Amino acid sequence: MPIHEKSLIRPENLQTNDHLVIDGVDVSGHWSTFIKPRTITDYNEAMEAVIWALPGGENIHRCWQCGSCTNACTVHAIEPEFNPRYWIYLIRQGLEEELLRDKDIIWQCVSCNKCTYACPRDVVPEGVMKATAHWLELKGHTAKSPSTHFDEGFTESVLATGKIEEGRVLRSFFKRTGQPLNQPWLVALVGGLIRRFPLAFLIRLGWGTVFRPRTRGWRKAGRAIEDYVQERQAAQRLALRLDGKGATDGRQ
Amino acid sequence: MTDKPILPVLIVGGGPAGLSAAHAVASSGRQAVIVDKADRLGGAPILQGYAKLVPSHEWAKVAIGGMVARVQQNPNVTSHLNTQVQSFDGAPGAFTATLRNGTVIEADSAILASGFTHFDSLNKPEWGFGTYPDVVTTVQVEQMISSGAGIRCPSDGRVPDRVAILLCVGSRDRQIGREWCSKICCTVSANLAMEIRELSPKTNVYIYYMDVRTFGLLEGEYYWKSQEEAKVKYIKARIAEVTSDGKRLVVKGEDTLVKRPITIPFDLVVHAIGMDPNVDNMTLASVFGVSLNRYGFIDKAASYVTLGETSRPGVYVAGAATGPETIDDSIAQGQAAALAALTRAGTRQVRAAE
Repeated sequence: MPIHEKSLIRPENLQTNDHLVIDGVDVSGHWSTFIKPRTITDYNEAMEAVIWALPGGENIHRCWQCGSCTNACTVHAIEPEFNPRYWIYLIRQGLEEELLRDKDIIWQCVSCNKCTYACPRDVVPEGVMKATAHWLELKGHTAKSPSTHFDEGFTESVLATGKIEEGRVLRSFFKRTGQPLNQPWLVALVGGLIRRFPLAFLIRLGWGTVFRPRTRGWRKAGRAIEDYVQERQAAQRLALRLDGKGATDGRQ
Repeated sequence: MTDKPILPVLIVGGGPAGLSAAHAVASSGRQAVIVDKADRLGGAPILQGYAKLVPSHEWAKVAIGGMVARVQQNPNVTSHLNTQVQSFDGAPGAFTATLRNGTVIEADSAILASGFTHFDSLNKPEWGFGTYPDVVTTVQVEQMISSGAGIRCPSDGRVPDRVAILLCVGSRDRQIGREWCSKICCTVSANLAMEIRELSPKTNVYIYYMDVRTFGLLEGEYYWKSQEEAKVKYIKARIAEVTSDGKRLVVKGEDTLVKRPITIPFDLVVHAIGMDPNVDNMTLASVFGVSLNRYGFIDKAASYVTLGETSRPGVYVAGAATGPETIDDSIAQGQAAALAALTRAGTRQVRAAE
């Protein structure tokens, strides 16, 4: 029977010393491999509080580790390492280092919300995943995801004019993600529009793109929303103990 | 029927079960005689200085104190304190009990409401009780709260930053011959955890569990509420050892959900102590001629049909004398035993068999 504990030994925890003498005994070389302890020596109580402060993470403390979320998870079915139940536990205990080992898969949550409906304690694991992915971004552990780039361009457009101008949002998305604008499918789409759309509509579209009309009376409303967004971001930066430069500046 | 008046019901123990039985007997117009080895009535909740009770959140001295006053004011109830039953002879309808202080009580029947004894944590030395002053029991925390002293580390009186409550101390442990679940400790611990968080919001409370058995409606009121509102943390680990690094206590074990060993510093460690059979159960069993079950609690003759019969006709049992029991169930069983005693349940069949 294989020894289960062997699976717990991580390559990075193995140590071999070229020259090591302990109590007069030469233990150099690969034949005396040392294993670093995996002991958890303290809890970081601040970490759960950080996730509480991010949208979606409000109910994380309700989790009782039943595993319904992981069992229901769409991503877990194809990627066994994707384990919301486990990450929730790590966050609650503040085992940041352990969590960061999975930083490149946590954001892969597809927000299907199966976990949300499976969870008996209403933890909203999907929200927790969102908050955790957000935390990873804010801390600079992961690059901004394409959806974050899109959201930022979208939000900027709304705040500025009170309207969503699709062409502008799309262009800003491509710019933010460093993609060329002449995507074959986009060229085909625009070409099709020009050929098939009534002239009046195209003129309106072009006029809107050039002059960026604003919703009437938007200045006040937009400013109120902007204030609120900034207030929330400041609260999040405070919770994350990032400096005052801005949520996204923390990572570079 | 003879003209001879019906004799009183002898009740051994003046805790929740005994007080409830006495009140029920007296309410039916019959006489009840309580014998208790302590110097006052009330049983464990009063003698041990419990704080707020489950499930009503009433203070023990108010809730159980009220039961004591109700019985003391009842002319049909007499109490003999600071004494125990030395001998018990006779047959149903005509028992004679002799107390250690020489009093002789003629009784129609008897109810054993003799309760339990708290597990002595010294029997689990690896968890530090008796070695480190900051390792205490749930009873001591109850006393800290009920006395108004607040949550403090006994060593230097500081308010702890971090408290660990270890469940199943003296329960579910074959090593020390206690295979039973003490039934109440999970709920009591959740309740105390919430009290600690309320008294000292900066104190974080961790409960180390194997399972959480806050049964029935206590689930929502205690387990969920302690997590959702008081933000108490539950960690799945049976602790191996409590030691000290010289400054703080160190709790060692394995966190089974991350499959990693833990050595976590704490300021205060609380043992959620279980319920043992009353230390006097061997004596009670021999004096009253009743049998004990394999765990040392007083054996119940039947689980259905009539509640509270023992192996001896005319002698009944209620509350934690039969095994770990909650206060409200003990009170219910006290009434059930009183009804059995008043109707002298189980004695007619014996006569018919003779």
